[in-house]
Amino acid sequence: MNASLYTDALSHIAAPPWLTEARHEALDRFLAAGLPDSRQEAWKYTSLDRLGQVTLRPPEAESSQAVCPDVTAYPGHVLLFQDGQLACHGTYLSNQFAGTLRHWGDTRSVHEHLGRIAGSSALADLNLALWQDGARVYVPAGERLGMPIFAVYGAATAEAMLHPRTLAVVESGAEAVLVEHYLGQTDQTYWQNAVSEIVLAEGARLTHIVVVEEGPAASHTSLTALRLGRNSEYRALHIGLGGLLTRRDLLAALDGADAGIRIDAFDLADGRRHTDLHLRVSHRAPRSQSRITYRGLADDRARAIFDGHVVVEHGAHQTDARQDCKGLLLSRQAEIDAMPRLEIYADDVKCSHGASVGQPDPDALFYLRSRGLDAAAARRLLLEGFANEALGLLDDAHLRDWLMPRLLAALSRRSGEEVRS
Amino acid sequence: MGNNDLQRHIDTPYRWGFVTEIEQETIPMGLDEGVIRRLSARKDEPDFMLDWRLEAYRHWLTMQEPDWATVSYPAIDYQAIHYFSAPKAGNQPRSLAEVDPKLLATYEKLGIPLNEREALAGVAVDAVFDSVSVATTFKDKLEALGIIFCPFSEAVRRHPDLVRLYLGSVVPHTDNFFAALNAAVFSDGTFVYVPKGVHCPMELSTYFRINARDTGQFERTLIIADEGSYVSYLEGCTAPQRDENQLHAAVVELIALKDARIKYATVQNWYPGDAEGRGGIYNFVTKRGDCRGDHSHISWTQVETGSAITWKYPSCILRGDNSVGEFYSVALTNHHQQADTGTKMIHIGRNSRSTIVSKGISAGRGRNAYRGLVKMLKGAEGARNHSQCDSLLMGPDCAAHTFPYIEVKNPTATVEHEATTSRIGDDQLFYLRSRGLTEEDAVNLIVNGFCKEVFKELPMEFAVEAQKLLAVSLEGAVG
Amino acid sequence: MLQIRNLHVSVAGKPILKGIDLDVGPGEVHAIMGPNGSGKSTLAQVLAGRSGYEVSQGSVRYLDRDLFLLPPEARARAGIFLAFQYPMEIPGVANAQFLRTALNSQHRARGEAEVDAFDFLEHVKGKLALLEMDDGFLYRSLNEGFSGGEKKRNEILQMLVLEPRLAILDETDSGLDIDALQVVARGVNAMRSPDRAIVLVTHYQRLLEHIVPDRVHVLAAGRIVRSGDRDLAMELEDKGYGWLNAGADFEEDRP
Repeated sequence: MNASLYTDALSHIAAPPWLTEARHEALDRFLAAGLPDSRQEAWKYTSLDRLGQVTLRPPEAESSQAVCPDVTAYPGHVLLFQDGQLACHGTYLSNQFAGTLRHWGDTRSVHEHLGRIAGSSALADLNLALWQDGARVYVPAGERLGMPIFAVYGAATAEAMLHPRTLAVVESGAEAVLVEHYLGQTDQTYWQNAVSEIVLAEGARLTHIVVVEEGPAASHTSLTALRLGRNSEYRALHIGLGGLLTRRDLLAALDGADAGIRIDAFDLADGRRHTDLHLRVSHRAPRSQSRITYRGLADDRARAIFDGHVVVEHGAHQTDARQDCKGLLLSRQAEIDAMPRLEIYADDVKCSHGASVGQPDPDALFYLRSRGLDAAAARRLLLEGFANEALGLLDDAHLRDWLMPRLLAALSRRSGEEVRS
Repeated sequence: MGNNDLQRHIDTPYRWGFVTEIEQETIPMGLDEGVIRRLSARKDEPDFMLDWRLEAYRHWLTMQEPDWATVSYPAIDYQAIHYFSAPKAGNQPRSLAEVDPKLLATYEKLGIPLNEREALAGVAVDAVFDSVSVATTFKDKLEALGIIFCPFSEAVRRHPDLVRLYLGSVVPHTDNFFAALNAAVFSDGTFVYVPKGVHCPMELSTYFRINARDTGQFERTLIIADEGSYVSYLEGCTAPQRDENQLHAAVVELIALKDARIKYATVQNWYPGDAEGRGGIYNFVTKRGDCRGDHSHISWTQVETGSAITWKYPSCILRGDNSVGEFYSVALTNHHQQADTGTKMIHIGRNSRSTIVSKGISAGRGRNAYRGLVKMLKGAEGARNHSQCDSLLMGPDCAAHTFPYIEVKNPTATVEHEATTSRIGDDQLFYLRSRGLTEEDAVNLIVNGFCKEVFKELPMEFAVEAQKLLAVSLEGAVG
Repeated sequence: MLQIRNLHVSVAGKPILKGIDLDVGPGEVHAIMGPNGSGKSTLAQVLAGRSGYEVSQGSVRYLDRDLFLLPPEARARAGIFLAFQYPMEIPGVANAQFLRTALNSQHRARGEAEVDAFDFLEHVKGKLALLEMDDGFLYRSLNEGFSGGEKKRNEILQMLVLEPRLAILDETDSGLDIDALQVVARGVNAMRSPDRAIVLVTHYQRLLEHIVPDRVHVLAAGRIVRSGDRDLAMELEDKGYGWLNAGADFEEDRP
């Protein structure tokens, strides 16, 4: 690992003074630990070696004036960050609710939570040291935002190293919809290493949609860390459609009693893509509930990995946790690995998981063909149905209209053929 | 009945915890090449065995003790263990008449009469006491069918070609830390060879007994089922009750050739330690079966109630087309016991099939983890696996984990995994008690129902034995 | 419309159909009866084009085309419909989405105009009412979590929507209570028309009280052993299947 790459990057960041010390400490921790390697159990299936082999830098400030995608395409309030800098800003919501971390950094909610939710790990430390900007969402108690907030993180510069950071605090009884969209605008190599911290106070509700559409040569690593207060509810949809290598971690701590979490995830791995999704849901208080649904497709020479880890801590009585994970293999060179884990330290609990990996059911294909669909259409319908099982959260028509065309376009690239040899 | 009652403490004595006072010959504590040479010389081994041991030892020195399992224990001092201990009265008695009566009495007391007239009908037994086999029953009858059933050390001398061909071919000495240690110092064990087309008419069984203090037991079992043959094998184990932990690091290798079938069952009842977690056996075992031929079939059945710590993953390499691997497991942890157990099913052959049924029972402060790998390699066309992992939780301080690893590289293969947890609910117990059952009977009924799928895989006599063992092991967990 | 000549079919090397001859003309309703294992369902599956069935001898012509040259979807587009004995559950695919996709595939193949979402709903809703199904059915995943009776109704619904030329109903009556049976029969009777043929595969005479067939055939051990009019079905009801095979090579090979 080339340490000077990272120290140089830090010296070029104009950071507010109150963060300087924390950034240096974080960088020291990262340099001591290095990039995660495959000897670590959590990184058994994913190697970041390629990141160590290229020279990546934070983009120059002027390069951020690159193409600004049409923000009106997003059905909500938009914060568009281009190569790490705020480029466009929707004006539908008050800045108080949706602004930039750079601008709102020196506020109570940021001081209180920034860096505290994500904890310390090599990649989170690196982000803490090098982040330049990102969305800061603050929803005061009792406030219900009718309009989704889109945090769009675009990457257009080759060999860029980007560390977008998002912080969302939803106070008690408040509600919001947050969409993070990671969008590649170049075919060249770059790396986005994102961290999102989310805090839900008592009775808060957040719907969180994360769409990863990085460029075909991009690496994407991300950590979403959240804390759930009493009786709060977090509903998430994570969709992976792009990027050569993606590794996403979601760490959820259900700290309060009666909290609920639902995570739906759909990953489409094709070409030579490598997708790795790790979820860790910790039940820490009584009567909390979790529902995890994963659907992964692997085609061509791609590999899709899913690791869903549910922990029920001592005293978390009447936890109700369910995990459902399915993978479909569409090619002889593809691979799917699934690890649905349960770790339980209490007895009055209801926990289950189910996992399956296979190919599209030949009987189901025959059934559809016997109704007149040709083989390709039958297959596409099956794949759409498969994806649909993870898309139950798209009950909002505008969100659905925004997302589905992207998903279907990605799906139709590969549903036309039989299993390839 | 509330949770407090559920944790009521009854000090259940471990019934097999006695010590046999017998003069033993022991190699002094510690491990170096000299100890291995001495051990090998003591057993009159051919050179190839000594070379194999030394190679394994040198490799072991380069290895790290594994730390990925969810078990914790203080560091083991490998120099504070005796690697060989045997009853003095000549460890190679030619017939049962020559076996030390004290040893016969010991096995009698353990419920394993070695006298062939009294022996369990249809079960041949190899009795291993600390580091050596002290008696083997029905050897001659089996030999008439061409079946070799004898102590490992005897097989090394009498059937060196078979041993050389198959030893380490399923679990190489480089496999893992404990397998390497075993390869270097294993002292005895059981060797079975069933010739082509022979259906072994009786259950073969080994009974392992640890007796001596500060002694490790490192036995090795090798079973070869030649084409079209069948054998059912069962092992049992117990140890005295002591405050110190003792290490048991065994290796079992099974080889099933074309159309052969091996059923391997274990009822593991090593001393589990006391209610406070003092003492007990560290049971670090490597077991693996190789379905080498087409249509071969290996099934593992285990009932694990003993040991302070259990670390074992009886596995199947499904190399042959249409080969079948099965793993049926009941693992119970009570008091401070820890178990990290499961299986690996490696599918290589076309249409190979595997089934995993794992039942974990956690009581007291017991920790129970299922860890299993199902791997479908590129050539495993049409292969299938189904896994079912269930945990039964008893008491608020126990822990139960499920860690499956599924790796699929062939699109025509199918893997299905399901896991559930349940507990013995107060309402369930009340319902049964209101029908006249005692609390303990009610618990046993529920536990046996939970384990039924596994017990039905055991030979009849042992299924009954296993049920009793579970009941005894759970005493004190529920009241 | 349909001509089956000396049809021999085996499954995994085992002969199931051993020389079937059958002619079905437009406007006709045929019932194929027989005990379990006689080959009834095999005949239905072969006509729909399921793989795994080896046709060793004989031919099937449908509307003057060689049926065996057509893949399953081409048969469906040419108007053949099989109501499955065990309909597949397909999670995540809504019933309505599926039905419209199927209908439009067939329309496209026949050069007819596609149906838009509004016309489609209108088209379907009348059929739902006929089968006493509520609109909720359309938005549930295809057959997933449906009861046995709901699955059978859903098959009939598909038939009504797709309007086939030749409908083959494989044991559609099994597992239905009397009310559901009447609803299903109503659906089938609504389909009777001079240019459409219906083949009912059934174990029991019960269904034929509600749908009166023109011809009844008895299948046993892979052959049609008797053909007649609806009185044959009555006779079977009285005497069972046993009397048919006195001396015949009757195999009771239940699946």
